[in-house]
Amino acid sequence: MPRFDELLERTPAVGLTRRVLLKRATAGVAGLAAFGLLAACRGAQEQATPETPAAPAAAASPTPTRPPAIVTTPAVVTPTPAPEGKYGGEMIVTGHHEIASLHPDDAGPTVHWVIVTQIHNGMIELDENYQLELVLAESYDVAEDGLTYTFKLRDGVKFHDGEIFDSNDVKYTFEWYMNPDSAAVNAALFRNIDRVEAPDERTVTIHMKQPDAPFLVRAATTFILPEHHHGKVGKEGYASNPIGTGAFKLKEWRAAEFTTVEAFDEHFRGRPYLDLFTEKIVPEASVRAIMLETGEADSAVWPLVAEDNLRFAEDPNYTVFRTSSVAVNHFPLNNEHPILSDKAVRQAMMHAIDRQKVIDDIFRGTAVLATANLSPALEQWYEPNVKQYPYDPERAKQILEEAGWVDTDGDGIREKDGVKLSFTCTTITGDQARRPEAEVVQQYFKAVGIDMQLAEAPTATILEKMRSGEMDASLFNWTYGGGGGDPDASATLRSNAVNNFSHYKNPRMDELLDNGIKEVDPQKRKEIYSEIQKLVAEDVPFLYMMFWDWFNIFTKRIKGLPESALTGSQLYRKAYQWWIEE
Amino acid sequence: MFQYIVRRLLQGLVVIFLVTLATFGLMHLAPGSPVDIMIGEAEVSQEVIDAITKKWGLDRPWYEQYLVWLGNMLRGDFGQSMVRTGVPVSQMLLEAAPVTLKLNLYSFAIAVLIAIPAGVLAAVRRYSLFDYSSMVGATLGVALPNFWIGLMLIIIFAQKLRWLPSGGSGSWQHYILPVAVLATEQMAVLARLTRGATVEVLHQDFVTTARAKGLADVTVIFRHVVRNALLPVITIIGYRLAFILSGTIVVETVFAWPGLGRLFILSIDRLDYQVVQAIVFLLTILVVIGNLLTDLVYAYIDPRIRIQ
Repeated sequence: MPRFDELLERTPAVGLTRRVLLKRATAGVAGLAAFGLLAACRGAQEQATPETPAAPAAAASPTPTRPPAIVTTPAVVTPTPAPEGKYGGEMIVTGHHEIASLHPDDAGPTVHWVIVTQIHNGMIELDENYQLELVLAESYDVAEDGLTYTFKLRDGVKFHDGEIFDSNDVKYTFEWYMNPDSAAVNAALFRNIDRVEAPDERTVTIHMKQPDAPFLVRAATTFILPEHHHGKVGKEGYASNPIGTGAFKLKEWRAAEFTTVEAFDEHFRGRPYLDLFTEKIVPEASVRAIMLETGEADSAVWPLVAEDNLRFAEDPNYTVFRTSSVAVNHFPLNNEHPILSDKAVRQAMMHAIDRQKVIDDIFRGTAVLATANLSPALEQWYEPNVKQYPYDPERAKQILEEAGWVDTDGDGIREKDGVKLSFTCTTITGDQARRPEAEVVQQYFKAVGIDMQLAEAPTATILEKMRSGEMDASLFNWTYGGGGGDPDASATLRSNAVNNFSHYKNPRMDELLDNGIKEVDPQKRKEIYSEIQKLVAEDVPFLYMMFWDWFNIFTKRIKGLPESALTGSQLYRKAYQWWIEE
Repeated sequence: MFQYIVRRLLQGLVVIFLVTLATFGLMHLAPGSPVDIMIGEAEVSQEVIDAITKKWGLDRPWYEQYLVWLGNMLRGDFGQSMVRTGVPVSQMLLEAAPVTLKLNLYSFAIAVLIAIPAGVLAAVRRYSLFDYSSMVGATLGVALPNFWIGLMLIIIFAQKLRWLPSGGSGSWQHYILPVAVLATEQMAVLARLTRGATVEVLHQDFVTTARAKGLADVTVIFRHVVRNALLPVITIIGYRLAFILSGTIVVETVFAWPGLGRLFILSIDRLDYQVVQAIVFLLTILVVIGNLLTDLVYAYIDPRIRIQ
């Protein structure tokens, strides 16, 4: 299931480093023609080691041997067997907020996911490079018409309580999510399933109502719940007492303090090397950084402040995975607002902002420019040939003037038919990272005659008021396709979507999104999502700014880490292959 | 006396009722719903949102929800957390409250033991080096934010010297830094207050009389001065009970302590109604009892005050 939770928190950065200046220079020289390439290269994760310190993004290149990231007809990989490691020890990672639930349905937040993924397995799972891995399934088969999936399950898999895993557990899990009475958060991922059958203990057949291209990535990766236990205790009971087939079983859960899982001796892939895996909750980012330095922690699952991230990336004593997020940092704009409904205004705004400078000055270069809704990290879906909006305040003014927005009363703010070009952007209360971003953008707008007032409100208020159309604009990060590596953006770009914060309505977009889900031919699907990105760049339903870099830092004593990663949080799924070597 | 206590307690009940009603109303008047937070970035349909809203009873009017809460609470059931799915609120409070209580208790004990004698001494030795240095220390203690002191102590004692853990709870070493930070602020407030009150009492006629009749300095100070000077100090101590949480929120966050302050802030942020409600309830009881105790101790210390 897709999981992204960076909406709420990001720690700020101040000042500039030589590295950032260098990078800015590189980006400047590369210019727009090379932008697509630059951005695409950025998607590759850089693993900083003493021999190869984290290079400026423009110089990074994808690992040449990595298979393409198309997941519609997934290149299903068999996990490489872990090299001989050492048994024993406890690995401690830090998260920034409490682990409120251990139920897979609540595993959205990264700090939850890191523990839930140790306890559970799916039939198939996404790895850190957006490849699908067979886990509880031995093989699977998709009918030509995309309407039937048949999974052959692995034999001899046990749950932590010793019960044998079989097809009834899969059937139970899918049906639990599909049942409206369960009120499952992720129910929508299962909406195209007609019924699930378990003809024998090792076979599961899933019949679809219509072809659903993201099915394998989004629904088939669901963590399997034990029917014998979950059926009795329900979601609430299970959230604090999970029993899965994972390499680790729950030892102690203290939501706001720490959660420890211990090695499961009878795990089907063999006992993990680590005896214990603990996630400690440390809200303060600078303290999480200090814990990595003092050896009190081995990894930070949630990014630190930009300065610390960059410092660790250049320190030979740490292994740092620098990946690119798929959630776009953006200003959702209410497209039903009298001013913001004018496409010319939205396009002019894009030209008015020097987005690269915002990235460099406010985020110390730890982000990559957005060209539409999809991140360049999604190499196989990313479309670089879309309408571009280079920083060009003169062009912005020209567009506004052509659209009839002129400053007639000389107050510096343009108006049209007596309406001032003025609106309010509401940022999240206390958002130290994005508030400066909004302030800088406010100045850019002012320079071209657009008045953007700033306000603050709590997250829940912003989400509700953007959804209901009572708010003009906001600023946060959200996934517009790309969750789990699949490009579907129906949840945010479709005219009737709950999270269509911009109230964007374009019948062509709806049609493309629907076709994109039904299309099972990867090439045709790629064309659909290319057109979607072009349409987003043309219509500018929201001001897409950038995709943040994601840093996952490990101390050198942790061995067995993957060589590369395209997505950071997915890394922790591999803890069963890691060991400690002092 | 007994009648007085009963009357005050009954008044307290009314206060508690009004405060919980106001909190409940305000929480529900604020735009947004805990469901928004629960679903996060999951791909959801309106049906799913409706199903979750209904499951938690959030589709009913707020006053109805309040009555349900009140009814359950009177039966000793604080309900379940919506964010920490299904965990009884009482269990969350039982886990978090002792943590905060211990932090406060230790830091307060240290603060009182150091600040009151220091304040008295500074007043008696007015304009001495001790007076100046302790008052400069006290000013700094009040002026420097907890957050900053905490981080500095972590950098010095955890990062540089590696003597103490940088965060978390568990062993006695974990207590040292957070207790030191909390005690610093409390000490600063109490020391200044004690000094001021003592200086004032030292100028009273009865002190001059006591001295004139030949009592030893020590006797004058302890029997007459300190006893009278402590009156405002005790008022403040009782009053500070109400700030038990706000004082520890920052310290709990910096030192990663899973206490009540952090739980409170997190629950407000996530609109976890049941948890906020329970904590406010608990807090109001503390304030009511704190005020009552202050008045009773007052009467005990100062015979001029008689409770009617």
